[in-house]
Amino acid sequence: MADNFQNKTMASVMMDYEFKMKTQNERSKVEDLFDYEGCKVGRGTYGHVYKARRKDGSDTKDYALKQIEGTGLSMSACREIALLRELKHSNVINLIRVFLSHTDRKVWLLFDYAEHDLWHIIKFHRAAKANKKSVMVPKGMVKSLLYQILDGIHYLHSNWVLHRDLKPANILVMGEGPERGRVKIADMGFARLFNAPLKPLADLDPVVVTFWYRAPELLLGARHYTKAIDIWAIGCIFAELLTSEPIFHCRQEDIKTSNPYHHDQLDRIFNVMGFPQEKDWEDIRKMPEHATLVKDFKRSNYQNCSLSKYMDRHKIKPDSKAFSLLQRLLLMDPNRRITSEQAMQDPYFSEDPLPTQDVFAGCPIPYPKREFLTDDDQDDKSDSKARQNQQQQQPNTQQNQVQANNHDHAANNAKRMRMSGQNQGNNTGGGGQQEFHQQQQMMFGGQQQGSSNQQQGNFQQRF
Amino acid sequence: MAGNFWQSSHHQQWILDKQDLFRDRQHDLAKLTEEEYQKVFNFFASIIQVLGEQLKLRQQVIATATVYFKRFYARNSLKCIDPLLLAPTCVFLASKVEEFGVISNSRLITTCQTVIKNKFSYAYGQQEFPYRTNHILECEFYLLENLDCCLIVYQPYRPLLLFVQDIHTQVQDDQILTYAWRIVNDSLRTDVSLLYPPYQIAISALHIACVMLGKENLKPWFAELNVDMDKIQEIVRTIINLYEMWKSYDEKKEIQGLLGKIPKPCPAPQR
Ligand SMILES: Nc1ncnc2c1ncn2[C@@H]1O[C@H](COP(=O)(O)OP(=O)(O)O)[C@@H](O)[C@H]1O
Ligand SMILES: [Mg+2]
Repeated sequence: MADNFQNKTMASVMMDYEFKMKTQNERSKVEDLFDYEGCKVGRGTYGHVYKARRKDGSDTKDYALKQIEGTGLSMSACREIALLRELKHSNVINLIRVFLSHTDRKVWLLFDYAEHDLWHIIKFHRAAKANKKSVMVPKGMVKSLLYQILDGIHYLHSNWVLHRDLKPANILVMGEGPERGRVKIADMGFARLFNAPLKPLADLDPVVVTFWYRAPELLLGARHYTKAIDIWAIGCIFAELLTSEPIFHCRQEDIKTSNPYHHDQLDRIFNVMGFPQEKDWEDIRKMPEHATLVKDFKRSNYQNCSLSKYMDRHKIKPDSKAFSLLQRLLLMDPNRRITSEQAMQDPYFSEDPLPTQDVFAGCPIPYPKREFLTDDDQDDKSDSKARQNQQQQQPNTQQNQVQANNHDHAANNAKRMRMSGQNQGNNTGGGGQQEFHQQQQMMFGGQQQGSSNQQQGNFQQRF
Repeated sequence: MAGNFWQSSHHQQWILDKQDLFRDRQHDLAKLTEEEYQKVFNFFASIIQVLGEQLKLRQQVIATATVYFKRFYARNSLKCIDPLLLAPTCVFLASKVEEFGVISNSRLITTCQTVIKNKFSYAYGQQEFPYRTNHILECEFYLLENLDCCLIVYQPYRPLLLFVQDIHTQVQDDQILTYAWRIVNDSLRTDVSLLYPPYQIAISALHIACVMLGKENLKPWFAELNVDMDKIQEIVRTIINLYEMWKSYDEKKEIQGLLGKIPKPCPAPQR
């Protein structure tokens, strides 16, 4: 009946009213289906995470609702949705569904709820250690955690997905329930497919891996993310699990530069690892920032440093299987660093205690549940305050607070920073093919359109 | 995700059945003949292609945008959202998913305006591109919903490169890739991306390219492939039909009439 009115004014009707109404009526709203008000449990760089329950009581499970920072579909939201929609692995967080709230243009992601994460777990151990208390956990817990992290990353890597932001806060662990003690790798906002680099990654992205977990090649200006970069981060997490200290902890006051080169972080790495020998990392000379490295650093300053000494100070014996695996994960030369698959074959995992599916191996879980964060600091977008609040509720030392805050700064800076695209790294990889990817011409399709020619250690030990 | 097409949403949800596709189009086919319907999609695929080229997007991104566009209308009538709005929205979304980087809103709108004015005036005359950023953003949410959040699209380009590498051990001819690549680009003007897995489209494009170039000696190579040759034949036929159609079709003359015929969105009833 409206057909009669189809004249000039119709030209700008973008959407059919009936279609709009129909989809509106069919669309379920997150606030209609879930209770989550006042239940914020996490705040990261890209979102707010709430603990939620179904309103209709059809199940009593806990869910996690992540409200993505800002409005609309940011690139990181698109990536997280696109990838999680496809990924299915017991050690990768499961995206249940997406809610798009048309009125306020908010994007919500619904996940299974994970009661714990390695950031909180490690913090708990550090606090206990500072108070000279012990935490009782099964002997194989660290091993199980590491094994499952590797399993999840192996899945991602074999599906051509790089995580690029591995750090303790993004490694979740399931609490009581059918998946008790299962590792879930989360936060895919930075992840990308690495099969076809469209542009050198550095041009597109904020600096992504928090500095403490950043591989040396990134700090020296590497232009492309690789699997090896994720592996380095896993090595860092493994060391942190063994010692409760971030192995490459570094003060991060004024990270304002857009340069990937980061003197203090490299200094910290060399202080632990020693300065790399030419023979250990031949291609270091090819790194974009090699000249700066040579100018800024003296090998002799790190003569007495080595990973074995560092770990030995933290009571991890250099002749242990844990140490030898750690050493293989934390090789400075990305080409020599082992793959997730090789790591899973390491003798560490076939030595008693064997890794278990429930990292708590049926023992009581000593860690507190997530606490709700207050909304007092509404206008403070950084999550440092929130975490500070949270810390006041838990036994803690000043030192811990400082560290935790640094940690948060790192996360926030990671969001703000952009890597400079100025380093003309050698454009490796698929030269001819790459160009072909631009190929937009058609066999015959050109004719009407003239399709233009333009080219296109073990926690059992007491702390 | 390149590793696993078989477990992908593309394979599990978006390889459609020909009959279903045809059935879901009935509303539009009441106003347009099948051939006219195809011509309309051919036109909007051109718009997406030109927009993508203007924005310097890679062909992979353009192809993904085109598939989004086709997926949306595979489930919805042309009436639901004006295709002139959906086309740039698909480009916008695809560029984010494929990590081209976010195209700034103003750049997208300006590009739409110049493209419509300079390259498609034969279709739109003096009419300006009528949409603004807020329209694109609203439309994007509807698009994402209708795609059921399936954003990763597998394209024939990668399998094509692999097949060509394999062929290269037997026949050295760079033209094969050039031809087949363009045929894949052309195939975006048909329904094949909705109906067949990308590797089959790649093989079909190769097949057509070899016939064009008279590469008889590759027959054994095709014969050894473990693929459903009936499907390949169907795809080949669809693409050849497109070429046949183009021979006698003058878009510049016909498109205005066709655009006039497509079902249009209706506004809210005025009371
Ligand atoms: N599925 C979940 N269950 C419970 N808590 C979660 C879940 N996902 C995230 N969190 C908490 O929220 C924090 C931020 O979530 P994350 O996905 O990492 O977002 P961001 O991209 O903002 O860092 C995490 O560090 C964790 O503490
Ligand atoms: Mg996070």
